[in-house]
Amino acid sequence: MHLNIHKLSLQLDGKSLYKNFNLEVAQGEKVLIKGPSGSGKSTLFRLILGFMQADEGAIYLDGQALSPGNVWSLRRRMAYVSQELNVGSAKVKDFIRDVFDYRANRHLEYEEEKTLRYFKQFDLEPEKLEQDFGKLSGGEKQRVALIISLLLDRELYLLDEVTSAIDEALREKVIQYLAGLEEKTMIIISHDPGWEQYDFRKIELKK
Amino acid sequence: MSTAVSIPLWSMILCYLLLLIPLGISWYLRIGIVQRLLWAVVRMTGQLAAVGMALIYVFRWDNTWVNIGWIVVAVGFATYSAIQNTELNYRQFFIPIFAALFLSAASILLFFNGPLLNLSNIFSAQYLIIIGGMLLGNALKGIIIGIADFYKAIHQNQNRYLYHLAAGAGQMEALIPFFRDALKASLNPSVASMATMGIVFLPGMMTGQIIGGSSPDTAIRYQLAIMITIFVCITLSVTLTILFSVRQSFDEFGNLKEEVFR
Repeated sequence: MHLNIHKLSLQLDGKSLYKNFNLEVAQGEKVLIKGPSGSGKSTLFRLILGFMQADEGAIYLDGQALSPGNVWSLRRRMAYVSQELNVGSAKVKDFIRDVFDYRANRHLEYEEEKTLRYFKQFDLEPEKLEQDFGKLSGGEKQRVALIISLLLDRELYLLDEVTSAIDEALREKVIQYLAGLEEKTMIIISHDPGWEQYDFRKIELKK
Repeated sequence: MSTAVSIPLWSMILCYLLLLIPLGISWYLRIGIVQRLLWAVVRMTGQLAAVGMALIYVFRWDNTWVNIGWIVVAVGFATYSAIQNTELNYRQFFIPIFAALFLSAASILLFFNGPLLNLSNIFSAQYLIIIGGMLLGNALKGIIIGIADFYKAIHQNQNRYLYHLAAGAGQMEALIPFFRDALKASLNPSVASMATMGIVFLPGMMTGQIIGGSSPDTAIRYQLAIMITIFVCITLSVTLTILFSVRQSFDEFGNLKEEVFR
């Protein structure tokens, strides 16, 4: 998926967060975004997902300007993994199944075998499938959310500090896996030095 | 059986004097509710006296349109009271709550007075207004808990809602977990009171009927019928309020509007 943010301006609480901001991300490209807290990194994701609207400017996804008419179908081509993952309490298995039960995801078959392969890949024990999502540790939640996004097989990945609660040894493995997904377009917000080894375009947002 | 013994004025005065006990204790312990309590007693007395006088005429006329009008006005008051007890915006919520309360109370009332009691006039004041009042009062409590819970939960757990939208949920699909919690919260008190009914307390309707001269058998049948219909009415009114209010509470992108709250 190709993303083009064109002359975007946004004021939040009387403060100018974005002024004539432009960003183009090509299909399959991976972009690393850095910046101090309050610089609008997470807000950028919210804007791309249509969870917030800019004061001026437009966001084009594969040439279509994000609008009420297409936001619902465009969202279904994006995967969003945020750092705030208090997003439900149900058995992990049911939590994943619920997502697959959404009308928009019904074309995808939920395969437990495939899910467990990802679990193994990201060092999660199979028993975690039976545990309550709400009671998992931060790092486990991040991995489950990542696995759901991978199972959904979306085109544009918006990853917001997805390795922040994962321990160091595993972090490398997760980053390596994600970086290797050549076809996926990714925007990564992260302070993790693990991403630095890859030749991704870096963008520094200022406060 | 005899009808209820009426309470003479001096006995009523005696009854009011009983309030000196809680007033004295509140004053001594400085609970700080003396003023509120007095105001509540004044309001209650005024409201019930006014309703009592109005009911004397309404019962005397027993006119279908007046009775229906009474219910419509009661729904209006209940709607106002429901919104007042939450932090929601009057303009946004008046019509959805009014419509939900009216539709659910009216349909249950028609069932109660029609197939259930088999009344010759289902709009008779004695039943329409009294049963209507009980249904509305309880539906009102359910709506206050349910609707406040629903919008507050979405507001406080925006991440949860947005996560599911991003995962591909449609608007209603993302709202279902919040809907579930809100309905559960609004039905819990009724379920609890149903389970303890008769053991812990004798319910008001039944007590009233027995004092009024009905046989315990009739009183119990009425009580069972009213408890079940109240439960259905709360379920319907909370569900409809949420369904009717969702459309205008979210923008076209699916985001909760700021103006939902006052």
